[in-house]
Amino acid sequence: MKKVSSLTELGFADDVHRALFRPIQQAAPPSPTKRHTKISVIGAGNVGMAIAQTILTQDLTDELALVDAKPDKLRGEMLDLQHAAAFLPRTRILASPDYAVTVDSDICIITAGARQIPGETRLNLLQRNLSLFKEIVPPLARYSPGALLLVVSNPVDVLTYIAWKLSGFPPNRVIGSGTNLDSSRFRFLLADHLEVNAQDVQAYMVGEHGDSSVALWSSISVGGVPILSQFTKDVAAIEQGVLERIRKAVVDSAYEVIRLKGYTSWAIGYSVASLARSLLRDQHRIHPVSLLANGFYGIPDDREVFLSLPAQLGRSGILSVANIQLTEEEAGRLRRSADALWDLQQKLGL
Amino acid sequence: MKKVSSLSELGFADDIHRTLFRPIQQAAPPSPTQRRTKISVIGAGNVGMAIAQTILTQDLTDELALVDAKPDKLQGEMLDLQHAAAFLPRTRILASPDYAVTVNSDICIITAGARQIPGETRLNLLQRNLALFKEIVPPLARYSPGTLLLVVSNPVDVLTYIAWKLSGFPPNRVIGSGTNLDSSRFRFLLADHLEVNAQDVQAYMVGEHGDSSVALWSSMSVGGVSILSQLTNDKAVVEQGVLEKIRKAVVESAYEVIRLKGYTSWAIGYSAANLARSLLRDQHRIHPVSLLAKGFYGIPDDREVFLSLPAQLGRSGVLSVANIHLTDEEAARLRRSANTLWELQQKLDL
Repeated sequence: MKKVSSLTELGFADDVHRALFRPIQQAAPPSPTKRHTKISVIGAGNVGMAIAQTILTQDLTDELALVDAKPDKLRGEMLDLQHAAAFLPRTRILASPDYAVTVDSDICIITAGARQIPGETRLNLLQRNLSLFKEIVPPLARYSPGALLLVVSNPVDVLTYIAWKLSGFPPNRVIGSGTNLDSSRFRFLLADHLEVNAQDVQAYMVGEHGDSSVALWSSISVGGVPILSQFTKDVAAIEQGVLERIRKAVVDSAYEVIRLKGYTSWAIGYSVASLARSLLRDQHRIHPVSLLANGFYGIPDDREVFLSLPAQLGRSGILSVANIQLTEEEAGRLRRSADALWDLQQKLGL
Repeated sequence: MKKVSSLSELGFADDIHRTLFRPIQQAAPPSPTQRRTKISVIGAGNVGMAIAQTILTQDLTDELALVDAKPDKLQGEMLDLQHAAAFLPRTRILASPDYAVTVNSDICIITAGARQIPGETRLNLLQRNLALFKEIVPPLARYSPGTLLLVVSNPVDVLTYIAWKLSGFPPNRVIGSGTNLDSSRFRFLLADHLEVNAQDVQAYMVGEHGDSSVALWSSMSVGGVSILSQLTNDKAVVEQGVLEKIRKAVVESAYEVIRLKGYTSWAIGYSAANLARSLLRDQHRIHPVSLLAKGFYGIPDDREVFLSLPAQLGRSGVLSVANIHLTDEEAARLRRSANTLWELQQKLDL
């Protein structure tokens, strides 16, 4: 088989390998069933590339495939990663505008999405993204019928629902990045103030990713110590307003980064790489991610909506949803999110 | 001392930490001499941020400081890194347009630089960068008099010379990223063709970083096996100038990435992080980096030029230059590079 390599095109002999290395006697050929982990990232923009590069640096996969509609940009990004070969473990990096390059992926991460035009309604943006996902999701599902789909594009909850419908996959294999990053921003603010490590802060934001996310104050603990009770034990009464201002600060922090640098990339890169690791390595870790939420916390069984709840993730996707105690108000907010998302989905004509 | 944290401004009580955690009895205060490693990155553009993010992911330092002239962009980049706190070891991340933020750095990495205006002469570009470095280097040297300076901005060899002159540092503490990345691209091409791991390919490009770099074919080896004789056994290789074509392909690959995606970032990020690790962790590893080359390979003692040679790097910077055997032709090319750089430097008003 003619070797495909740019050195061959330059006249470098094809058989130098044989002159340098010899196999042992009676070696069997490689088994066709040996697993080679593969992650595909759809969309080579700022978010897609931050995710791809973090996955590469953290050595999470044997093969990384990139897909984008812009072939030059895509090829440039692929080369820029390949050129770091001397500094990284050997990961095979592929790129093509053709979805065939994603064949046999363990995880497909979708970051492609239309950006909101100023003044555009949310429904209109969603219609445009629905058209885009109709081009993206069916080929992904066809080339990797057993893959886990991880949706990052916004608005993530509805787009994850759309990806689920278009793929025909069982719902445990279709996940949205949801409030995984919001929760990290929440934990960062708390940890920074308390001078603890963010990894010792357990604090979930759940529900819809965005303005109406729900901060689960009652379930926040630091080093195992629930802190809401510390509030109420305190002499000074804590106004409900303070908690809501903190939640808003978390939601605003994304807009703040966009206002300052034009987009966000690094944090979502780490967030998604963290999800990819938990899934691929069957970690059984709990992450707040967007999943099919009907039947939980009073959301009616017939309301097929995706929103974020703390879930155990592993090799087969969503293993379970953690049975976290919600206050009545928190559960009420979740149900209201579910209603709003359901109404929006009805208008899509999917 | 009033705690500076955005949660305080939102009304979150300052004394929560005291109710959650209690110190043990008779604990001594932290020692002022306890070393915390610190790396500063000057320039929060694509290159600077790729370097900063890779250093963060690879957990190379306790503190990371970012400096840029654009305060909003800088603040946005800092927040985007901080928001990943839940997914990373606890690294203190600071950012300011004021060089005071770089105080007591172990390594200062300079990525800031003027971009070449189409049609601009190389000398003119250099004069503009000299003006920029006159603002950057003296404050860095003042705030971290013992630091290692790592110059990435291009044209790196002359800018490393400029940084050396402006800092007043001994030459072992002023290093340019030089041909470290070119060598990685070289090793990638060879490894890809030979189907080996790039880390098993020993192949240095030295001399001036750029069009006139020198490929050290005579000292190239794979798994300890010298391969030049394998290559030149093939008459076609010799006749068609294949080796020179390969060297040119390596030089071209940088331009190719720029043409395709607009700039390079990921590979230089890994390359600089790799150098930072060898320096900070005193690894005594050999890297081709831009250093004060006078006295080596026949370069006259009075020609104070910086160009890349394979050097051992450690906590005090350049420990030594590897005594690699060069053919007469390779040494002559080096000396020609040195002459060109020397003449260029004479024209600068330094």
